[in-house]
Amino acid sequence: MSTAQPDSAEHAASLLVEIATNRNRRAFSELFHHFAPKLQAYATRQFGNEQTAMDLVQETMTNVWHKAHLFKPDRGSAATWIFTIARNIRFDFLRKNKHRQYDLSADDLWPILAEQNDSLDDDYALDDDLLMQQLANYCEQLPVAQKTVIELIYVEGKSQQEVADALAIPLGTVKSRTRLALQKLKELIHSDD
Amino acid sequence: MIKSHPSEQLLVGYVAGELTPAMLMVVGTHVDMCPHCQQQVQDIEEQLAQKVMQNSSRVSSQLSIAEADAMLERIFNSQQGIQQPVAHEVNNLISLDGKRFTLPPTLARNSRHIGEWQHMVSHLWRAPVQVDEEQPLNLIYMSEGAQVPEHTHKGQEATVVINGVFHDEFDEYRDGDFILLDGHHKHTPATQAEDCLTLATLDAPMQFTSGISRLLNPFSSLFFR
Repeated sequence: MSTAQPDSAEHAASLLVEIATNRNRRAFSELFHHFAPKLQAYATRQFGNEQTAMDLVQETMTNVWHKAHLFKPDRGSAATWIFTIARNIRFDFLRKNKHRQYDLSADDLWPILAEQNDSLDDDYALDDDLLMQQLANYCEQLPVAQKTVIELIYVEGKSQQEVADALAIPLGTVKSRTRLALQKLKELIHSDD
Repeated sequence: MIKSHPSEQLLVGYVAGELTPAMLMVVGTHVDMCPHCQQQVQDIEEQLAQKVMQNSSRVSSQLSIAEADAMLERIFNSQQGIQQPVAHEVNNLISLDGKRFTLPPTLARNSRHIGEWQHMVSHLWRAPVQVDEEQPLNLIYMSEGAQVPEHTHKGQEATVVINGVFHDEFDEYRDGDFILLDGHHKHTPATQAEDCLTLATLDAPMQFTSGISRLLNPFSSLFFR
């Protein structure tokens, strides 16, 4: 039918990448003009109400604009990603309209817009205890001075200034030890991967 | 190896968001645990998306140019994170009687809806998962050697095994297995040497059908609510 480029899946995906990396408004407008009418048709069929349909289009495309960095080309097409966002918003709209008692949200059923959902999805996530234990092992490998600072900040929850006062050392030293320790921990964790 | 899966129709309902919340949770939990159905879900997503995103020529109520421009303007002016969902506490561990179970992601993300464990009868415990105003959803724990009296259902019973094994007259069910029974099935779930944690939803009360357990019918609301 039309020669509109977003019909090609690769092009639509590249527009999303362009939006994510460069906040490119022209790329978004192109994507919008392609998908918004389709979303509108979908929403009108679902709700039978023009205004609610327009709200769904706007909310879906607003998410596309702000969350384009969460699109993963290897998981599916741009059209599919946008559809699943619309599906979630439809679900939340329907529950809100019925004033449901429980605050079940679509994002907790289908976490497509979670900033990080890999942790739970792979092997149902790490056991927290196990993680803490592993981190403790890594900390043991730090020089004593760095280890002390890390424990005071991340285990006891002290501020960097409080640590400086407690150890009677300059704040700048606390900062540099923290930075070096975190850097070292990162290396240790990556070398184990 | 998971051998009982939801029908394709249920998976389509799951992807479209057109099942009851309780059923979405049960199917979603199965999908969490089943690589085969994860692939199916991905395929169904692509297919539904194609249907929705391709039929533009028949759209009667196109966005006018003015409407589209106004909407674009509002989107560019919107702040990121305005409709950001509140981050809930996510807990993927649940314990009962000193035993700890890892919850699959769908349940873990909804852990704040899980109520207290209640002891029902000898080997049975139940904790409500409050996500559905109309259709009860429960975690059900059967310890070793449990037997639920033979029963049938007025409606449908959907169950997914989270951990352990139970059996009935038809088969044996293990981690991830999804079981859908309707009013035509009578069954007697039981555990043997191993205990079993399941997530189950009933869309109508159970009816006990055999012998003395008919006397339990007044209590079938125990299972229902």
